[in-house]
Amino acid sequence: MYQEVLKQLNFITLEIEKLVNKITTNKYNPFYYHGALPQFYLWVLYLTGLLLFAYYIPTVDNAYLSKKMVNAWTSVDYITKTLPFGAIFRGMHRYAGDAMVITIILHMIRVWFTDRYRQYRWVQWTSGVLLLVLVLFIGQTGYYLVWDDRSLILTRMTVSSLTYLPVIGEPIKHWFLNGDLISNLTMSNFLFIHIGLSFSLLSFLWIHYVRMTRPVLTPPPAINYILVALVLLVVFIYPINSGQMADLNHQPTSFDIDWFFLFPYWLMAKVNMGVYWLFMLAGVVALTVVPWFVRSKPVEAAEVVTNKCTGCSLCYRDCPWQAIEMVPAPPTSRFKLLATVKPYRCTGCGVCVGACAFDAIDVPDLPDAKVLDQIKGLVGAT
Amino acid sequence: MTEKKKVLALMCERSVDVNDADLQNLSDLGVVKFPCSGMIQPLMIEAALKAGACGVVVTGCQIGDCFYREGNKLLMERLLGERPPGLKKNVDKRRVLGLWLSKLQKSRFIDDTKEFTNFVVNLK
Repeated sequence: MYQEVLKQLNFITLEIEKLVNKITTNKYNPFYYHGALPQFYLWVLYLTGLLLFAYYIPTVDNAYLSKKMVNAWTSVDYITKTLPFGAIFRGMHRYAGDAMVITIILHMIRVWFTDRYRQYRWVQWTSGVLLLVLVLFIGQTGYYLVWDDRSLILTRMTVSSLTYLPVIGEPIKHWFLNGDLISNLTMSNFLFIHIGLSFSLLSFLWIHYVRMTRPVLTPPPAINYILVALVLLVVFIYPINSGQMADLNHQPTSFDIDWFFLFPYWLMAKVNMGVYWLFMLAGVVALTVVPWFVRSKPVEAAEVVTNKCTGCSLCYRDCPWQAIEMVPAPPTSRFKLLATVKPYRCTGCGVCVGACAFDAIDVPDLPDAKVLDQIKGLVGAT
Repeated sequence: MTEKKKVLALMCERSVDVNDADLQNLSDLGVVKFPCSGMIQPLMIEAALKAGACGVVVTGCQIGDCFYREGNKLLMERLLGERPPGLKKNVDKRRVLGLWLSKLQKSRFIDDTKEFTNFVVNLK
């Protein structure tokens, strides 16, 4: 049943892509770069974030405001109102974040619908779920940094959700606030979490990409221009404004919600804290185990015919899964290198068979000799 | 043994999906299926031509969309001679047709194959 539904969904994706291909040709079809889209937005976020970082001041102190002291809110206000193009960069940083979440979800849906998420791809799927959770969390910390009404209420809600957790809750809260109360140290910690975790995304992305040869990391320039133009368009249509500066003696009661990042807070406000944590954990676990919903037929890994392999490393270069490693050949061999297959990475696709000019590698399901027999049987001269 | 086919199609399972009913219309076509078009070796194409086929059709998914990531792209580059191993120089390139079609483009596969068959059978 589940598989039938997925099959239909696969057809729908193909149908949509066929339609898009008519407009863009397959070279510029954004669906063929679905993984590279969020990666591109990540670079946009890094660049705009760097510019914001230059002017951002991570303090909450507003005791000396009358003496023109600055804090987080006034520095953001300065970026938005005084700095040339500041509002544009701030808006781009905000909306590129939203766009990144949209493209990640698009990426996830396409991978799921086209059945490219399980078996040998489980590393990519699970690291992808981790990346999604991280991106959502980083996005939330971005909202704390503005230090308006909303930041304050979000911080307080996070603290109360953390204190609900037994044993680990208190230390995590202490880490989160960088102390027991909201203070200047809290703000520098938020900035550190926001930026530090953003860079840690790169190491998780490495896990995400490590099993792929030549991962598609950049869409063609034409698509990049459109991606930036889309963000700029939204920046001009819906300019960003901060709320009131946060006042620690005042408790705001409501805030505008950004559905891409702040939906957990919506849930938190609706239900009991226990239900909230249960729901969040269950959500992450359910997403993580999606690849194991279906029983997959085990892959028969490709096998190297040791006495035919010349060590030319063509299969090693072509394997799209980094599943072939060239090792020194045994001393009895005439050649220097020998191809070996890592069976846990092999997908049984047979690209190595196509790359080998010496018939030295075989996929057990469909060996070379059998293919040649079939060919000769169909067109044979006799 | 059945009669010999004039044209051979080496097909990726995940691209155009032909069933027996379609093959009755294409009586000159013999089909060998592969898990991925990347598995097709230029040697196999040479073997088919040498064994007496008039032409070989190779099908893979749309370029940019390969279930196994890049099989179709690699094969295309091999056939164009941009990536080793390629076709030998004495292979008549007019007798090899590459079609990069998704599962939904069966009618185009049938049309193009018929046209190709007519062309190839009349080649000297």
